[in-house]
Amino acid sequence: MKKIVDWFDERIQTREIKETLFDRKIPKGVGWIYALGSASLFLLILQAVTGILLAMSYSAAPDHAYASVQYITEQIPMGAIIRGLHKWGASFMVIVVTLHMIRVYFMGAYKFPRELTWVLGVLIWLVVIGFGFTGYLLPWDQKGYWATMVGANLAGQAPFIGEAASKVLRGGEALGAITLTRFYAIHVLVLPASLLTLVGLHLFLVVRQGISAPPERDKGERS
Amino acid sequence: MMESWKERALARYQELKKLGKSFFPYIIYKDTVVVFLIFVVVLGLAIVKGAELEEVADPTDTTYNPRPEWYFLFLFQALKYVPGSLEAVAAIILPSLVILLMILLPFIDRGPRRHPFDRPLLTILGIVAIVGFIGLTVVGLESPLLNPVVHKDPQVMAGRKLYADLKCSYCHSINGRGGVAGPDLTTVGSRRERDWFVQHFQSPQRVTPGSVMPRLNLLPEEVDELVAYMMTLGGGGGPFTPKAPHLFQDHCESCHRLDGKGGEIGPDLTTLRTYRDKGFIYGYIQDPKPFNPETSMPGFKGTLTDPEIEDLSRYLLSSKREKK
Ligand code: HEC
Ligand code: HEC
Repeated sequence: MKKIVDWFDERIQTREIKETLFDRKIPKGVGWIYALGSASLFLLILQAVTGILLAMSYSAAPDHAYASVQYITEQIPMGAIIRGLHKWGASFMVIVVTLHMIRVYFMGAYKFPRELTWVLGVLIWLVVIGFGFTGYLLPWDQKGYWATMVGANLAGQAPFIGEAASKVLRGGEALGAITLTRFYAIHVLVLPASLLTLVGLHLFLVVRQGISAPPERDKGERS
Repeated sequence: MMESWKERALARYQELKKLGKSFFPYIIYKDTVVVFLIFVVVLGLAIVKGAELEEVADPTDTTYNPRPEWYFLFLFQALKYVPGSLEAVAAIILPSLVILLMILLPFIDRGPRRHPFDRPLLTILGIVAIVGFIGLTVVGLESPLLNPVVHKDPQVMAGRKLYADLKCSYCHSINGRGGVAGPDLTTVGSRRERDWFVQHFQSPQRVTPGSVMPRLNLLPEEVDELVAYMMTLGGGGGPFTPKAPHLFQDHCESCHRLDGKGGEIGPDLTTLRTYRDKGFIYGYIQDPKPFNPETSMPGFKGTLTDPEIEDLSRYLLSSKREKK
């Protein structure tokens, strides 16, 4: 075992990696509420795993989508639980990421030197919501269909670009086959790629700069 | 050169870091506990509640009461409080602005003060936003969303069921779904009259000699149900009269926009037919109160006759209107 570790260490300095990742010091006072970030990361992994499992049996065509979801729920071993995990995981993702953001907001942790981490965080939050919006349509049931219809109509209200935006979203005038394929492509290709990139950068900054210390009262120092 | 407070902040951070513990195992431990708890809750919900699957999407069922994912509810609830003319502002511009401000936050709120008590304005703003979000979501969960009162016409619903039971979709398609042996029925309601349907269903061959459409031997009330359903196709409650556009001009245009023309006091009605059904529109024109207690639109029960209201509803529901 030690030999294997050494073998890698000689080549890619794994000990250094371990030191920066695991032996880094965390400032005094970091409490439970700081775990929300890690919890988001865990949910991301949960969504990725259950999402991949679902994608193996899902078909993104209006004629088959619903039946394939039915098939997943009723025929695939544990299919119902996988769907349940993906659905509830998605809701928790939104909750946990939002709570994480609220924590950072109230603690002023977005301030120097962590401005970029915050900007990436807001973008991640938007991507998470995008996942929710596109995922809602995929089972092609009444709920998803009509909610998406309302969403697309709302997008159509935007000045100047509204009509175009809602057309691009739907892939045409009506909500149909193209919309479903488009939403699926966004849900499993565009958004995951964006999310991984953003989260990668976000985590890089977190490790590089260290977790922010809890805020302290201003003692009248002038800037 | 770095401002002095930044240097101080970095130095203080190093101090606190020295006093702190290492990520492994102390922080990892907390993370693991939290992650485990969340996983247990998610798994519990997945097993107990699962993920529901409603009926298959039906683009023709305009009576469905749409409800977005819960975290969008607050937005939809908020939209109920803004007048139609401001809907675009409230639905799109305002949220975009809030998101933009959020992204720019660290560049707007700068300086060394981080403690919430040292930034009272932002702290209060944050609390107001959270309370507002929760409040609107709770109200939104309790009140029906877009179709405040859904008027499902039982005859139409029965007709839809017949259409499915009799496998009409083997030969006909509606909104792109179904067979091609017979004509597309998506807009048939705006093409044919009631009586034509009745006779055609009683005997297709008598109306269209040589038709391969089977004679259905339906009961009279089944014919009525099918006809009622057919009449709703084409986004319409049937053909409207040439008077309808004038009725709209005289009574509605001062407040409503339609196909790019009209007032801004009420909502734009151009796409109304994509999310409202006839029962709703008819009832709303008669008297909006039961649908929307806070309405500011007058009822037209005394002003317009029932056939006129019917005519207007058909006009608003028609997809042919826009082509003119
Ligand atoms: C075997 C195939 C077949 C079946 C099954 C069938 N139809 Fe038809 N239908 C046709 C054909 C062919 C026509 C065109 C000739 C005619 O008007 O009769 C037609 C015409 C119609 C029309 C008139 C369309 C127009 O544009 O003028 C309506 C309405 C209609 N069918 C409704 C129904 C309903 C409702 C059912 C189910 C109870 C049904 N059809 C079942 C083949 C079929
Ligand atoms: C005094 C201005 C005014 C006039 C005149 C008016 N409306 Fe309205 N209408 C409104 C307002 C404002 C609303 C938004 C909701 C509310 O307050 O009821 C509305 C809502 C509606 C809705 C519901 C839209 C939805 O999505 O829920 C319909 C349908 C409608 N109007 C149709 C008509 C028709 C048809 C006429 C003409 C017979 C008409 N209105 C005349 C002000 C008006």
